[in-house]
Amino acid sequence: MNSFKRDKKEEEDGGSQFLNLEKTTVLQEARIFNETSVNPRKCTPVLTKLLYAINQGETLSPKEATDVFFAMTKLFQSKDAVLRRMVYLGIKELSSIAEDVIIVTSSLTKDMTGKEDTYRAAAIRALCSITDATMLQAIERYMKQAIVDRNPAVSSAALVSSLHMSKLAPDVVKRWVNEAQEAVNSDNIMVQYHALGLLYHIRKSDRLAVTKLVARLTRMSLKSPYAVCMLIRITAKLLEEDDEAGGNDSPYFSFIESCLRHKSEMVVYEAAHAIVNLKRTTSRELVPALSVLQLFCGSAKATLRFAAVRTLNQVAISHPAAVTACNLDLENLITDSNRSIATLAITTLLKTGAESSVDRLMKQIATFVSEISDEFKVIVVQAIRALALKFPRKHNVLMNFLSAMLRDEGGLEYKASIADTIITIIEDNPEAKESGLAHLCEFIEDCEHVSLAVRILHLLGKEGPKTKQPSRYIRFIYNRVILECPSIRAAAVSAMAQFGASCPDLLENIQVLLARCQMDSDDEVRDRATYYSNILARQDKALCNSYILDPLQLSIMALERSLKEYLQNPEDRPFDIKSVPLASVPTPEEKEMKHKTEGMLVTQGGPVKPPPVSREENFAEKLSIIPGIQQLGPLFKSSDVVELTESETEYFVRCIKHSFNNHLVLQFDCLNTLSDQLLEQVRVQLEPSEGYRLLAEVPCPRLPYNESGSCYAVLQFPEDDLPNSVGTFGAVLKFVVKDCDPATGLPDTDEGYDDEYMLEDLEITLGDQIRRVTRANWAAAWEEAATAEYAEMEDTYSLSSMHTLEEAVQSIASFLGLQPAERTDRVPEGKTVHTLLLSGMFRGGADILVRAKLALTDGVTMQLTVRSPDPAIAELITSAVG
Amino acid sequence: MVFVLVTIETRLYRHECYACFWFTANVPEFGTMGIFQKLVQFLGVRKREVNVLVVGLNNSGKSTVVNRFKNQDERVTEIVPTVGFAVERFQNQNLAFTAFDMSGHGRYRDLWEHYYKDCNGIIFVIDSSDRLRLVVVKEELDLLLQHPDICNRRLPILFFANKMDCKEALSSVKIAAALGLDKIMDKPWHISASNALTGEGLQEGVEWMTQQIRDIILAKGS
Ligand SMILES: Nc1nc2c(ncn2[C@@H]2O[C@H](COP(=O)(O)OP(=O)(O)O)[C@@H](O)[C@H]2O)c(=O)[nH]1
Ligand SMILES: [Mg+2]
Repeated sequence: MNSFKRDKKEEEDGGSQFLNLEKTTVLQEARIFNETSVNPRKCTPVLTKLLYAINQGETLSPKEATDVFFAMTKLFQSKDAVLRRMVYLGIKELSSIAEDVIIVTSSLTKDMTGKEDTYRAAAIRALCSITDATMLQAIERYMKQAIVDRNPAVSSAALVSSLHMSKLAPDVVKRWVNEAQEAVNSDNIMVQYHALGLLYHIRKSDRLAVTKLVARLTRMSLKSPYAVCMLIRITAKLLEEDDEAGGNDSPYFSFIESCLRHKSEMVVYEAAHAIVNLKRTTSRELVPALSVLQLFCGSAKATLRFAAVRTLNQVAISHPAAVTACNLDLENLITDSNRSIATLAITTLLKTGAESSVDRLMKQIATFVSEISDEFKVIVVQAIRALALKFPRKHNVLMNFLSAMLRDEGGLEYKASIADTIITIIEDNPEAKESGLAHLCEFIEDCEHVSLAVRILHLLGKEGPKTKQPSRYIRFIYNRVILECPSIRAAAVSAMAQFGASCPDLLENIQVLLARCQMDSDDEVRDRATYYSNILARQDKALCNSYILDPLQLSIMALERSLKEYLQNPEDRPFDIKSVPLASVPTPEEKEMKHKTEGMLVTQGGPVKPPPVSREENFAEKLSIIPGIQQLGPLFKSSDVVELTESETEYFVRCIKHSFNNHLVLQFDCLNTLSDQLLEQVRVQLEPSEGYRLLAEVPCPRLPYNESGSCYAVLQFPEDDLPNSVGTFGAVLKFVVKDCDPATGLPDTDEGYDDEYMLEDLEITLGDQIRRVTRANWAAAWEEAATAEYAEMEDTYSLSSMHTLEEAVQSIASFLGLQPAERTDRVPEGKTVHTLLLSGMFRGGADILVRAKLALTDGVTMQLTVRSPDPAIAELITSAVG
Repeated sequence: MVFVLVTIETRLYRHECYACFWFTANVPEFGTMGIFQKLVQFLGVRKREVNVLVVGLNNSGKSTVVNRFKNQDERVTEIVPTVGFAVERFQNQNLAFTAFDMSGHGRYRDLWEHYYKDCNGIIFVIDSSDRLRLVVVKEELDLLLQHPDICNRRLPILFFANKMDCKEALSSVKIAAALGLDKIMDKPWHISASNALTGEGLQEGVEWMTQQIRDIILAKGS
């Protein structure tokens, strides 16, 4: 009776002996492993508990892990199959924490080669988890045998383990290529797949070998559909890398296309997916792949429908017209009982459909948006963003929908994507601004995500003052000061200060509010309030501009580094904030990238992303090997990569130009593509243009076949001679060649001979010396420049090769290396005149402000006005354009 | 109530069986013994299990020795250097031995101690032709004898002066002297000259070990 009661109780609280496991208790219980005769019935549950505890996140100290590991090794004396397999799991789990785990090597090799088939595969996997690079040689023989073993489970385990081990000892695993080759011929579908995986991994850096592999395998018709899928991926990669292989008649492409007729649905889908995602695929080539996907849309299997609609969703971005053919099938899916499929179908239709269908589709989504997961809600939001940009007139429907979504439950990523979308719509469409801001104001009234509230407050501070009735936003902002946590209160203070600086009528009220904030309990909030209140009290426009409206946008990481350096090498002079590099502005390409991934089902790494590191910061680290580089000051700007050779040549040389205040460092990345040559003392001999002085060179000591190395040249910009800083350098690659055996890469002799290789000329441009700077308030800076007696230069040009204003805007901004401000890089449709506003900074720290008034005539006529504190810089810019 | 009764019966049987084993110790393992074994298994009584630790420098022949102890059909034809340890089983008379055949490489010798605590006997294998490393053998032996898990226990130690067939091989008497075995007072020990390749000398040693362990078990009354 009694025991019956207890059982019942156990059942009630989950009935699991694993609930509330204590690590120490489990370790205590594990002592029974040490008993002379092992009792599997007792040991197995204890080991299970141990593994369970570890998997629940319990961490063992190295000592604890080692003790229990050694106790566990004693269980090898038991012949109980279940216990033995638990021991394998235990070994894998503890191998990374415990010490001396190689103690079980012989026991495991014995099991992997033994008669007991149920042990062998698992023993291989355990063995690989305890083997390090030095021990790998000892088990090499067994691994080779296991790869070609007749038992498929053993062979698969060995292949997959080899793949893992190639991370620690690639050279050893490479020697198993013949065995892997043999395993590819296996009849077993898994073995064949795993063998191909290993084989490709071993070969993948050798293009020629991959080509041969693909050529052979595409002919032999693999039995395993998994292997065929893998082969399709490899082939697609080859196609993508190699433009010459392109064209309809490429054997690669025809292989993939032939897979569309494979008997396995998985292969068919893989082929369609590959074709759809190839960059080079034309609309015509797309047709057969799309018909397959279209067919899948009507499949009875939810997975196939999902795969098809998800892929169509992606194609809709790159080939909207082609996807229209599937519209009917997609329409059938919008009521699919699987909400993920329905969501993807609707968002695809939204991307391809006409303006007239927007209302209908939005209504359809609204019926089930609350039922789908955040991940899919984000897809809906992204589709709405795309729609809003495409059909600006629909902003009301869309905005209402978004604000309804904002009010629903949801995670940070989802809410952030909604807020992002509203912000994008506001920026893009002035008509939507007021209603968008109103929705956001309402949202922050009840927003649980601090980071989001901070961003919105920042936006309100930036955009609110420019609206017709700025005062209406103050209440929303000040409410935050009363109700929220310190970081939001601080953000609200900053936002109010923006209003104070831009709206003179509101200044008095703002000062009252700021005065209240100076009584806040939080340091940061009080400090900000005091800071802003004092600046505003001066009533000095220039001061407001540079400290409230448009403060220096420093790179935070660089600031941290500079401050550390300053503290480590104490100097008499105060810290100069001008020496800190500015934050990098995302380039148009980076923005483009972001845009491209939108609307696809990409799993993101979670909301917390590390702060972006600028190119300059990355390079600064690389350049630190150059002796004396510290004396040049901070790295100001790193150019894009310039190729100095054609790509398929003997030596491949690319250059990156790094500008410092007064110096130019050229980084030459060289690749040796000759297998029978070892290059030494590689350097680039320059013929600098007038005024430049070559100060130092850092050669690359060794450049073996297929490796890349860098050499450097340090130059001084022409002194007091800005016009000559734009010039052309002659360049020759110089080096010592040692002929060598292509098989081993070892030189035949110690003696080398000098040789050289002509490179293309290297241009040093204006853009190399200018950094983009984002200006929140370009007009204020422009006015201030006039009062601060900046130099101004003006000239008129006729750009006859330009045929549209967009084209002109793009090329001017990129030629000068300046950042477009106030969204003037977008030319409203149908306009024939446009003003482009640009800003940047010249090396040395001088501001540059440029206004380009453009008019579309035959070509484009441009009036260019430049303001900069340094007249020479202003002149350089106007002369460089002409 | 019924359960209790059965337990008592089992106990009874166990005693009886042990008695039989003692008696039939010299009977070959098949024949009449087979029936007994089945009966014994049926009643849930197994052979007495004991653990022995096989140690010694690398290349002294430990794995070869252990391999010899196994039944003809379970032996391996090729002995490879041991990495870590290997568990092997063999029987002698009525004892089921589990041998932990340890690797003798310098890198692994420190790990022997993990297995000291719960062993019933130690087999120490010495390459009697390796005169050069005899000092190393002594050093390792001394460390072993002083180890807290060993020093206060009455643990039988069996030495094999292995590779007696080699020309340079020292006699077991000389090896005992070189290792100072006469100073071991609190533990029964025994040394046999052996040739693990042919099996010569092994049986004598393991019989001694079996007898010792049995005595200790009997003395403990378990
Ligand atoms: N001549 C001879 N060789 C032996 C004898 N015992 C073992 N060996 C050889 O010694 C080598 C090492 O044996 P092994 O059992 O691996 O030694 P372990 O490292 O102590 O396990 C092998 O080549 C054996 O064939 C022996 O009694 N006489
Ligand atoms: Mg061995």
